[in-house]
Amino acid sequence: MSFDVQMPTSEEGLVSLLSKESSHILAGGTDLLVKIRLKRVIPKTIVSLRHLKGLDRIEDLGDKMRVGCRVTISELLNSEIISRHARILQMALRQIGSPQIRNRATLAGNIINASPAGDSIVAMVLSNASLSIGSANGERYERVVDFIRGPGVTTLSRGEFVKSITFEKTDVLFPQFHKVGQRNSMAISVASVGSLTSESEIRLAFGSVAPTVVVPIDACEYYSAEIDSFDEERFVELAMKCVTPIDDVRATAWYRTTVVRNLIHRTLKVWRKKGYNAV
Amino acid sequence: MKITLNVNGKLHDIDIDPGEYLLDVLRRIGYKSVRRSCNSASCGTCTVLLNGKPILSCSTFAASVDGQSIETVEGMSDGEKLHPIQEAILEEGGAQCGYCIPGLIMTGEALLRENIDPSDEEIKLALNGNICRCTGYEPQNRAIKKAAQVMRGELDE
Repeated sequence: MSFDVQMPTSEEGLVSLLSKESSHILAGGTDLLVKIRLKRVIPKTIVSLRHLKGLDRIEDLGDKMRVGCRVTISELLNSEIISRHARILQMALRQIGSPQIRNRATLAGNIINASPAGDSIVAMVLSNASLSIGSANGERYERVVDFIRGPGVTTLSRGEFVKSITFEKTDVLFPQFHKVGQRNSMAISVASVGSLTSESEIRLAFGSVAPTVVVPIDACEYYSAEIDSFDEERFVELAMKCVTPIDDVRATAWYRTTVVRNLIHRTLKVWRKKGYNAV
Repeated sequence: MKITLNVNGKLHDIDIDPGEYLLDVLRRIGYKSVRRSCNSASCGTCTVLLNGKPILSCSTFAASVDGQSIETVEGMSDGEKLHPIQEAILEEGGAQCGYCIPGLIMTGEALLRENIDPSDEEIKLALNGNICRCTGYEPQNRAIKKAAQVMRGELDE
């Protein structure tokens, strides 16, 4: 294979290498190296984060948390701050790949991969995550929901890289992550529903049923507005408005629609049964 | 480019192509226990330990693990004496075609280093990235459990 592998030690070195044509950033490589093998990506330069200083911490910022772009999924799953303040993220991360994949893959990588099925993206959207994006011109910030434009498409341009992810602590909300896949591990979701619930608020996000992870805003607003006269069928109908799945190798659109509808009902059922008393 | 790999405690200075995968480099220098199956990070056959943790060598650049420690099945047995996990896999019928076994043994070893008394559920979760088409997994899960008992000194080898 005719490409070069560079391992810059500083952010300046990193962004200057990334500004070259066909250069690709490498963190854990669990997506990129598979794409290179399949010739879906033909790089000239691979820029590895391996020797970069910093950006490898999980930080407690008070009501928020910050995760550096080099932090692996396994590190997040072993983190006490994450298990205390971001249970929804932990639930989603457990669904990613296998132990081998989680030992290499990073949260930043899963977000940048921008899959409509991205398990961590569901949790990050629910936690109002935003990204710090570095380049030679300094730093910009963007919400994850705005950053992802379509399947595999983000606003990241040449010379830019995701430095860290900042998201809200969600201790006071009851977390649920329901995923249907073809098997229990190493499975890309057929449909997933993540939620954070309290008596007065629900946050919902769906994976694999639209070109990106989607949030049914109307349904979430209805939940807060109609606490006393809540109609489950109405809520589900509103939520289903953003469900626009496709037929693919994993499932048909019809099946995905049926699954996501059932998962929304399940989300409410579990909340009434367990969550209500847990928060 | 030149890299140094510590494989099973032995240092290797190796000349590699920057785009070479760890799987290919390990096989090239003689560690043939490391197997290629799916070649796309889906099956777990190529699992080795990187600094003690299981990873997939088919989707790791050799260049990115320069100077680090790798463990393969070649480092498990003590001469003719098999490691308790290897022994238990044989006894429980955990190997049929045998293709997935080196990767599975390394994942099992990493699990038992962290947790010498895993529950059935913990074993299943730890091994769920090592796909086997022959055994139906039950003999392998039993083998890990048995090896753990041996390693805890509760069962004679």
